[in-house]
Amino acid sequence: MKTVTATKAVLPSASLYKLGYAFIMAGLVFTTSCNKVLDQSPQNEVQDASSITNRKGGIAAMAGLYNELQNSNYYGSNFLIISDVSSNQGQSIGTWDFYREMDNYQVSLGNTENGNFYARAYRAINQANNLIAAAPGLADASDADKNKMMGQAYFVRALAYFDLTRLYGGVPGVVGALGVPITLTPSRQIDESSFPPRATLDASYKQVEDDLLQAENLLLSTADRSQASKGAARALLSRLYLYTGNFAKAAEYATLVIGEANYALNPSYTDIFLTKLSTESIFELNYNAADVSNIRNWYFPTSSGGRGDLAAHTSFYEKAKADPKDIRGTLFGFAASAGIYYPTKYNKAGNIDNIHILRIAEMYLNRAEARAKTNDLTGAIADLNVVRKRAGVDEVNPSGQAAVLAAIWNEQQLEFAFEGHSFFDYVRTGQALTQLVNVERKNGPPVSLTIPGRQVFPMPSFEVDANSNIEQNEAYQ
Amino acid sequence: MKSRLFFSLFCLASIGLAAQDRTVSGKVTSQEGGGALSGVSIALKGSAKGTVSDASGNFQLKVSSSSDTLVFEFVGFQKQEIGVGNRSLFEISLAPAFNSMTEVVVTGYGQQNRKTLTSAITSVKAAEISNIPASSSDQLLQGRAAGVQVNTNSGTPGGGVFVRIRGTSSINASSDPLYVIDGVPVQSNNLSGLSIGGGITNPMADINPADIESMEILKDASATAIYGARAANGVVLITTKRGASGKAKIALGFYYGNQKAPKKPGVTDGPTFERLMNEAAVNDGKPAPYGNPDTAITTNWADLIFRTGALRNVDLSISGGNEKVKYMVSGNNMLQEGILKKSDFVRSTGRVNLDFTPIEKLKIGTSLLYSYNKRGRLRNDDNISGGLEGTFFYPTDRGVYNADGSYFKIPTFENPVAAIAESDLAMMTNRFVGSIYAEYEFIHGLKLKSSYSLDYSNVEETVYDNSKTNGGSAVNGRAQALSTNNNNWIQENVLSYNFKFGKSSVSALVGTTVQKSTTSVISVTGTQFPSDDFKEVTAAAIQTATTTGTSWGIGSVFSRVNYDYDRKYLLTVNVRRDGSSRFGKANQYGTFPSVGLGWVLTEEKFLQDIPALNTLKIRGSYGITGNQSGIKDFQALGLWGGAAYADLPGISPTQLANPNLKWETTKQTDIGIDISLFQNRLNITADYYYKKTQDLLLDVSLPRSTGFNVLTQNYGELENKGFEFGISGDIVRSKSGLTWSTSLNMSFNRNKILKLAAPFNVYNRDIYRYQEGGQMFSFYLNPQTGVDPKTGAIQFEDVNGDGQFDVNNDRRIVGTANPNFTGGFTNNLSFKGFDLMFFFQFSQGNKQLHWNRFFQEHGGTRSTNFSLSQLDRWQNDGDITMIPKMTAANYASDLRPSRFLEDGSYMRLKNISLGYTLPSSLARSIKMSSARIYVSAQNIWTITNYTGLDPELTGTASNALTQGIEFYTMPQPKTIMAGINVTF
Repeated sequence: MKTVTATKAVLPSASLYKLGYAFIMAGLVFTTSCNKVLDQSPQNEVQDASSITNRKGGIAAMAGLYNELQNSNYYGSNFLIISDVSSNQGQSIGTWDFYREMDNYQVSLGNTENGNFYARAYRAINQANNLIAAAPGLADASDADKNKMMGQAYFVRALAYFDLTRLYGGVPGVVGALGVPITLTPSRQIDESSFPPRATLDASYKQVEDDLLQAENLLLSTADRSQASKGAARALLSRLYLYTGNFAKAAEYATLVIGEANYALNPSYTDIFLTKLSTESIFELNYNAADVSNIRNWYFPTSSGGRGDLAAHTSFYEKAKADPKDIRGTLFGFAASAGIYYPTKYNKAGNIDNIHILRIAEMYLNRAEARAKTNDLTGAIADLNVVRKRAGVDEVNPSGQAAVLAAIWNEQQLEFAFEGHSFFDYVRTGQALTQLVNVERKNGPPVSLTIPGRQVFPMPSFEVDANSNIEQNEAYQ
Repeated sequence: MKSRLFFSLFCLASIGLAAQDRTVSGKVTSQEGGGALSGVSIALKGSAKGTVSDASGNFQLKVSSSSDTLVFEFVGFQKQEIGVGNRSLFEISLAPAFNSMTEVVVTGYGQQNRKTLTSAITSVKAAEISNIPASSSDQLLQGRAAGVQVNTNSGTPGGGVFVRIRGTSSINASSDPLYVIDGVPVQSNNLSGLSIGGGITNPMADINPADIESMEILKDASATAIYGARAANGVVLITTKRGASGKAKIALGFYYGNQKAPKKPGVTDGPTFERLMNEAAVNDGKPAPYGNPDTAITTNWADLIFRTGALRNVDLSISGGNEKVKYMVSGNNMLQEGILKKSDFVRSTGRVNLDFTPIEKLKIGTSLLYSYNKRGRLRNDDNISGGLEGTFFYPTDRGVYNADGSYFKIPTFENPVAAIAESDLAMMTNRFVGSIYAEYEFIHGLKLKSSYSLDYSNVEETVYDNSKTNGGSAVNGRAQALSTNNNNWIQENVLSYNFKFGKSSVSALVGTTVQKSTTSVISVTGTQFPSDDFKEVTAAAIQTATTTGTSWGIGSVFSRVNYDYDRKYLLTVNVRRDGSSRFGKANQYGTFPSVGLGWVLTEEKFLQDIPALNTLKIRGSYGITGNQSGIKDFQALGLWGGAAYADLPGISPTQLANPNLKWETTKQTDIGIDISLFQNRLNITADYYYKKTQDLLLDVSLPRSTGFNVLTQNYGELENKGFEFGISGDIVRSKSGLTWSTSLNMSFNRNKILKLAAPFNVYNRDIYRYQEGGQMFSFYLNPQTGVDPKTGAIQFEDVNGDGQFDVNNDRRIVGTANPNFTGGFTNNLSFKGFDLMFFFQFSQGNKQLHWNRFFQEHGGTRSTNFSLSQLDRWQNDGDITMIPKMTAANYASDLRPSRFLEDGSYMRLKNISLGYTLPSSLARSIKMSSARIYVSAQNIWTITNYTGLDPELTGTASNALTQGIEFYTMPQPKTIMAGINVTF
């Protein structure tokens, strides 16, 4: 009862009931302000209508293009791993069975990493479509600004369609007839046009070519290699023409890039990966502590702060080491606990390694291949030896077209090890079924790529489920 | 309690109005034990006059004539009516209400006598759930209420709980019930922002279960529709204890115990591991890697990280009051140590519940809770850096450390000892849930109540991985600090009017409510620490930070009318109209009506001659409720978010607009029956229901060629139908003092997806599939038929009938995590001061995916350890087993064999306790009014065929589309404890 007395002293009844009345009245008044709580606005994001509305927005959307490319689902790590694990360079030794499936040529329709890449590439395409649609109408942007925005958007769209087409479509004359669904306008709503069927393989590559020619036309030459430039568009055209068998153009575009003063072989092979944005690079994705690539994490062992799920095939390590003078053979570490070698190209603590999408060495090897295909064997060998010399190995002088091509293709494997070229180069050059045979693995018996249709990946199950117009690749039906 | 307040108010209101004739007085006692009952309502029948008994059970009341009738009512006791006659002194002894039909149940925005209820509401009273060492109140509902399915996702202290009322009624929106504590709809979603595995934390653990007076589970539309757009998943009303008139009652409760793992990971020892690896290599034509397996050492990783955890709880409360002021003040401190080292939950709470009646007709009061708790957390549940996961994967033939003293490490996984010792993860929550209210009675029965409530949570989380961990080694230590603030304020006004005319009684209410919720998160991370002694981000050389914020609001008006004619024919009509900030202007408002009808047959003349039948009531209801929870706050808008490229700020589209987005609606029909027999000693309640959810807030999978993964659309239909019943009986009430009461409840729910835009798969490896005609939580695997006894090759069903097995196409739904039925069975026995309680809880027909086996039965395709089940592999011609010969082909990486899907049915002795209550004379002699000591145990016996650690586990709780998958998840502990409860 003491409590009651104390309470009375503090809060006399007279005050309390006034408080009570005031309270109820306030409550009723309050209700009238109800509508305000229904007006909430997002804090983290802006609405469509206020996205690309001026020059600043266009520039931000341009950065957004590279944000999609650099995502770990795409060039940040996944797309490089897809290629290298499917080849004879990288192997899966951990639990992430999505890469193990690729390693074993048993890619399931629901493979998470396959789906991650597919979805991310189309996000990049939608981003590009938005910028292409919006840029011409930006009142405060100069023509130069608009050309830069559109040119970069065309380049990124071309790159994404190129990557999609070579992974799911194939290579003309080698494998595949179907390409990928083509969307050229920004997605704002879902309607009948949201369910496109797959374009043909040729139409898909044609789209890549059209976009790259636009980009080449709109973009300027620049030493900024962290964004798309005229040089980058030309370099990708050179690569594209190797896929489509237009060797004259492949050589022509390679020559244009080699002739550009912004690019030169980095005298030190290892420095390409130590120093960001060196002259070696034509197009390189830039990362920092707030925006990390993740590829180091996959290869470095747990004791060095990685996940260690992936490693080099020991046979590839031995191949890279075969010539003791080859600097490229030094970029490996040994994980004693698992007894495997791993690549150390990507070795920056905090996973801030840059990703090299196009570098000048490729232009020499592209031209070498194109020249060899067109029987300019001397020119081909000269280009090949430029790259060999930088790697510290002796020049070669093979005789006959087949031997020259074999030497070039071998060089491509060594030069671009773990940079996402390997599997695509084997498929493009028709070597996949002969080279990817009895590849030894740490866990389990050796594997071979025996089914020709598995030179391409399955369309992800979610795409087939959501879009009934999508035809699955034959080997996965 | 509320009813007591209600009646006291009712009585006070009438003071001064009363005519004065003569005064009668008396004392009210309990038939059981004979103790005085304070707070009993004594009313003059047919008038507004009345009083309540005081602390000693005494009362005085003025009556006007000898024909008056006194009505004695008290919660938990049977109502008694006595004619006044010429008596002036009354010794009244009230019989306990074993009949649930006489109890008063809390309903949304009110309370009602169960007898006149037309809806399906289950009550769980304090006595049923006291002294059980569960950190959160929702866990206590497990097996207690028909129609409620509760799974404890893991044994993580303070961890998440899966609660479903009458099935899962949404796919992508939330299917969790709405929790309302003392009228405040509270935040019940996981607020942890750390990404440390598939588990979630449970904000309901902020509440002290000992403060709870009762929990009411509102199940059908007649009960829930008053909560309109938030009601489709059912509502749990939690009512906390309040003070009553009488002298201060001090209650002290204390228990102490320990917790142990029910089972430890079953993995092979060192020599066996090496022999199996050798066998696999030889089968694949490779040389055996281990020369002499017999000499291999064995490291028992589990023994290095498991422990016996302590359990300690103290509750102290004081309550009392008089007709002007009533109070209940409580404090709680709980410590629960997990069965893995460093995992724990410590909670301190304080509660102040006050009710003032400054003048008649006016009541004001508060319900205030402050809670502070701290969790020591671990990476768990599908986390490669987690100690438990490492315990399964690390080969047992290797030591903890290398020769140089560093940790031995394998690819991918963290060394289990390092995972626990070298990382610190903590979560601290400060929570305040408070409301203040004022209620004014204009005329008798007409009241206006206004309240303001605030539910505020501040969650501070820290993670530190030192340079010896996988995550910290490359960056010289890694730290993260995260601060999450969630703030909800709610304002409500309710005008209610209760009146009678003739044989009719009406209680009607109309009200408004407005709620706004804001959440903000600040996260900072740091890497590159000067040494392992520095753990705060400030010492890190590289620091990054992000902040995010979001908000939502809802404004509603609601109304309800309860009508009964002669307590015989019952009608309840509800309607609520809600406006939500989450939807576009065109569809911002939704209206949710319901109607309930009841007929008390035993009030009819033709049934009054059957002595055994005390109550027979049939009831039915239909209504529409909504759901908007679980979707993002701005799901209707087309949005662009930040998309920086290194140092350049960027934007990119994140979400497609859907301006037509609106509520998901659930239509529910319920038919129920309530029966009381044999002087109300046997009570049966049974319900059949059909729930159909339409316009699902469905994340419709889009062609990714649009650049988007999903568009949230109102598309699709889902149904839940089922039957549930509860039976309780007082089997023995002997004169010798022996009593035995028992209760059983069972729930049968059937879930079906009626309509979807397109089928879709969920979780890594597509292990769940959602398709029309299927159920929620359906497992999608390659149906394994066996192993060829001749060759040891794995064999599968040819699902598409093309004559050959193909991993992608010969795959189908092989079972679901939904049980055929769940339920609980309780027995209470007492004899001369001793009491024995045992409570079984069960679930039948649910499939449980033992996903650890997928990784540990690897047949040599991984370098990591094997589960003991690998020993059953095919070895020789004629072996009959489901575990194939250890070759790479039989364990290919793309296979999803169904053999890992096991029967998850179980029956568990959830709780057993034995207590002794001191005789009251003895208690009084030591200055106590009562004292009870007890010992109890939880989860000590489980019957199941499931081979994992615990058949209830879900390791992926953060993904609401998954359920029933053990994925390196901490099992629920076995607990043994002793305690004491005393009151003064």
